[in-house]
Amino acid sequence: MNIELTDVTRTFGRNRAVDGVTLEVGPGVFGLLGPNGAGKTSLLRMLATVLPPSSGTVRLLGRDPAGAAAKTEIRRRLGYLPQNLGYYPSFTVAEFVEYFALLKEMPSGQVPKAVAAAIERVDLGSKARSRLRTLSGGMLRRVGIAQAIVNDPELLLFDEPTAGLDPEQRVGFRALMRDLGQQATVVVSTHLVEDVGAACSEVALMADGRVVFRGAPEELTAQGAGHEVGDSPLERGYSAVLAASRKRVAA
Amino acid sequence: MNDRDDVDLSRVWVNVAAEVWRRQPGRLERATARLLRSPGLARALLTTPSLLLPWLIASAVVLAVGALTQVSAGQPLVWLLAPAVATVGIAYCYGPGLDPAWELSCTMPVSDRLVLLTRAVAVFAVNAALGLIASAATLGTHASTGTAQLTFGWLLPMTAACALALAVAVGVRSPFVGAGAGVGAWVVLVLGYGADHGPTAAGNRLSAAALAPVVADANLYLPCLVVAACCAVIALFAVRRPQRGLL
Repeated sequence: MNIELTDVTRTFGRNRAVDGVTLEVGPGVFGLLGPNGAGKTSLLRMLATVLPPSSGTVRLLGRDPAGAAAKTEIRRRLGYLPQNLGYYPSFTVAEFVEYFALLKEMPSGQVPKAVAAAIERVDLGSKARSRLRTLSGGMLRRVGIAQAIVNDPELLLFDEPTAGLDPEQRVGFRALMRDLGQQATVVVSTHLVEDVGAACSEVALMADGRVVFRGAPEELTAQGAGHEVGDSPLERGYSAVLAASRKRVAA
Repeated sequence: MNDRDDVDLSRVWVNVAAEVWRRQPGRLERATARLLRSPGLARALLTTPSLLLPWLIASAVVLAVGALTQVSAGQPLVWLLAPAVATVGIAYCYGPGLDPAWELSCTMPVSDRLVLLTRAVAVFAVNAALGLIASAATLGTHASTGTAQLTFGWLLPMTAACALALAVAVGVRSPFVGAGAGVGAWVVLVLGYGADHGPTAAGNRLSAAALAPVVADANLYLPCLVVAACCAVIALFAVRRPQRGLL
């Protein structure tokens, strides 16, 4: 298992953003669904070693990120796209991806080819020497994806990766995720249910910091039988599980 | 099908693109990468001024704190606290405050604190270089004394202290130990040589007509030389140890 979480909580003051999450995830594309404020981003930031858990244990790629050496080793094999990634406007696309490849301690000789391959995979070859300040929001998002995959990571974390992408780019990105998921563990946090249905082999639904559903997208779809809220079967399943979770909390 | 039909065009294109887009690091970047044992840190050091907004605000903070120390001669407490205020300002500008990719930087194997230390060296060093140029340019004018005081009494000693901190941090792979060494060097500098007036004691005596005696002032020069020698020894030690991924 590349991700092993045991009873993980994360609190910010009195707010419990992640509340007793236990999760094991192996290779493949894993979707993390949930409404705003469900704790998806906090959980992803813990997986990205940005935040330590308040309690519970986290093991990533078979290592405990609490140790400095283990954390460094995990980070070498990690790719992360934050929800709000800013960009250095004076850098070109290739310079930006190269900068993070170097910070990921990739051997220098491998960097140019890895940068080119990552830029080509997100279909930005024609913009490789363009300054970031000249690119559209969707293109910048793809630059973010390129820096995440440049080191061929074993653990990839995407927070709202398709935000700002047009429908054609989203279809392309889902194909890329499926491709990446054949070798690595890809965790995608999103509120776009159709992304999960198209690309993920497994999904967890979070609400109020807890995982309230885990299974295949088809199982989530099955939960929506007889439920009326939602435009697609998967959305109805998502909505039904959330409604049931809220009823339990209210009770 | 023969071998020529099996050519993977996308792989060939990636190889071509890699050559076309390859950025050739300059001599300075290659040398810095060897010294810091990290091409990533070297890139961070040299690109520091290109992040314009953080650069301008960090420089303004550093110069403002420097100006404050100049008007607080005779108060060691101000001298002891000034570096902390300046480095907090730099850390804010190149950290969670203004760096748009800060969260991403926190997930890199190269320590984000080491990157911040590198940014601090860049901010002080470039401003010190500009200060030296300004001092030379204003030589013989009314403005020369203040510019020289700021440069020799604040920017240059702080550059040396930050460089020492970075050298130690790289040598022992611990930004905390490095920062401790930098703080220690600064405290020695202030308490040992400038208890009355701080490191600017000699700077206070600067004037357009008397630059040469100041440069020869052992009270200011000796500790700077000691700090520089420490940097050189640590840098040499660091370069001798092989490190994966050097340029």
